[in-house]
Amino acid sequence: MAKSSEESSSRRTFMMVIIGLISSIIGVALTIPVLGVVLSPLFRKRDIVWTKLGKFSDLEIKPLAPKFIPVYFKVKEGWSVNTLPRQVIVVKTIGGKFLFFSNQCTHLGCPIHWVPARQKFLCPCHGGMFNALGEVVGGPPPRPLYKWVHKIENDAVYIQNKFIDNPKDRGI
Amino acid sequence: MFKEIQNWFDERIELTKTIEEFNGERIPRRGGWAYTFGSLLAFLFTVQVVTGIFLLFYYVPYFPIARNATYFIKYHVVFGNVLLGIHLWGAFTMIFFILIHMARVYFSGAYKKPRELQWIAGMVLFSIVVILGLTGYMLVGNENSWWTINVLTNVASHTPFIGGFIRIIARGGTETSVLTMQHIFAVHVWLLPGIVMLFIPIHLFLIRKTGHQGMALEYKNSKLSDDDPNKWRHPDATVPFFPDQFYKDMIVALGVFAIVYILAVVIGAPIGPMYRPLALNFAPEGDWYFLANEELLKYFPGHGLIIFPTFLIPSIGFGLLFVLPFIDRTHERSPFKRPAATVLGILFLLVLVYLTLMGGEPKAPATV
Ligand code: HEM
Ligand code: FES
Repeated sequence: MAKSSEESSSRRTFMMVIIGLISSIIGVALTIPVLGVVLSPLFRKRDIVWTKLGKFSDLEIKPLAPKFIPVYFKVKEGWSVNTLPRQVIVVKTIGGKFLFFSNQCTHLGCPIHWVPARQKFLCPCHGGMFNALGEVVGGPPPRPLYKWVHKIENDAVYIQNKFIDNPKDRGI
Repeated sequence: MFKEIQNWFDERIELTKTIEEFNGERIPRRGGWAYTFGSLLAFLFTVQVVTGIFLLFYYVPYFPIARNATYFIKYHVVFGNVLLGIHLWGAFTMIFFILIHMARVYFSGAYKKPRELQWIAGMVLFSIVVILGLTGYMLVGNENSWWTINVLTNVASHTPFIGGFIRIIARGGTETSVLTMQHIFAVHVWLLPGIVMLFIPIHLFLIRKTGHQGMALEYKNSKLSDDDPNKWRHPDATVPFFPDQFYKDMIVALGVFAIVYILAVVIGAPIGPMYRPLALNFAPEGDWYFLANEELLKYFPGHGLIIFPTFLIPSIGFGLLFVLPFIDRTHERSPFKRPAATVLGILFLLVLVYLTLMGGEPKAPATV
């Protein structure tokens, strides 16, 4: 019969080495799939879709009177097609240009409100302020409002679930 | 540095001494490999918990989305197929080795006084592990899951007097519905693993208290008579649990884990078709460890007899197994000196294998 660990110290060392080795093998073998599953979202491509916001003629936007219009992106996510309801703030400038903002504050993403009396967007969370052109005029937000990627075809506005100039994909 | 940290803990809680006490448990020396199955089960259960937790990152208990979520895990999550495969094959392996562990304990008479409580704690674990397997099968949300839920809740409904209530509670309502999935999910993920996590330490604590019995061959040198219960407390030679027994446990764990892993990677977990409650050509089938009971169900046709396979035989069988230590009260341990118990045990295993094989046969001709 093989010697026990109490009878032979080299046998004890041998056992300890085997125990250590096997623990590491099992540990690594189990960690690999676990890591894969946990990190999996990092490797997934975002589903980008165009969604119709409406006809220009129906939008009825007046200059410097921002209008909140909901848009519903149908996006493949996980095992299903999800509906992502989002607000598009349409602003018509004095010069007649159209801007399409997200209603998410660029500080940490709270929903901004339009306060007509002060002609500003106010953020309810930490007091961020933006003017009608989306520029920061007070509070902690580090950058102007996000703009939706959009296109205009045959008098209709289409919005993509993606912001212009947003390299880190914040918000959305 | 390491020494200092160790001292810090030792001064306060005698850590080193506690660890040494734990590791130094005396294990009978001769049959070491036969005593690895218990630890193997603890190891496999740990693997089930780890893989299960991470499956939950994606799983949704909702018919029929559950099956799509499972499909997503298998085909779209990085290494999701491996994780799902380990969880499935690990479950099968666990059920297989729990039977082996029970057989080893049964044939070596280790359930006898003073170890009755270990056996009972073990039976609790056995019941729970089987139900874990069945509920897991239902959670996939495929066609088999759907019918398994129906069949098993109907089986439960044949319990005298309260059967109808059991079915409603298990289903979360009179119908098999979304609530049913939610119930099964809670049971599979929280309730049953919780009970197992409670009972494994109880099981081990009891073994610690009475000492390991091991097999009859550990007592060859003893001068005491076989009928003296004291004989079975003092094996001829012992080794410490760590590293001697643990080293064998680890080798077996690695071997079994390797097999589980290979099965997970090569075969993986079949997901099965989406459930179609209206399908005309589907023949539901239970998992392999349930085939024996499935087969039993066919031997008792008709209204008067249905209670035998659904309630009487399983519950009486389980009941008898539960109280086995109180039925068989002799002190003899060697399987050769208690032929009745040994023959019964072998017959039981043969019937189990036979029923399982027969249960695997197709029952009705599938229409197309
Ligand atoms: C998750 C399930 C289980 C785990 C983790 C487990 C764990 C263990 C461990 C680690 C041991 C000591 C080493 C060995 O003999 O293998 C043991 C012994 C034992 N087990 Fe289990 N076991 C489980 C299920 C069962 C079942 C289902 C039964 C019987 C119904 C059972 C009855 C016993 C008995 C009587 C002993 C004492 C054996 C002796 O003293 O020689 N166990 N178990
Ligand atoms: S989120 Fe708007 S100010 Fe902080």
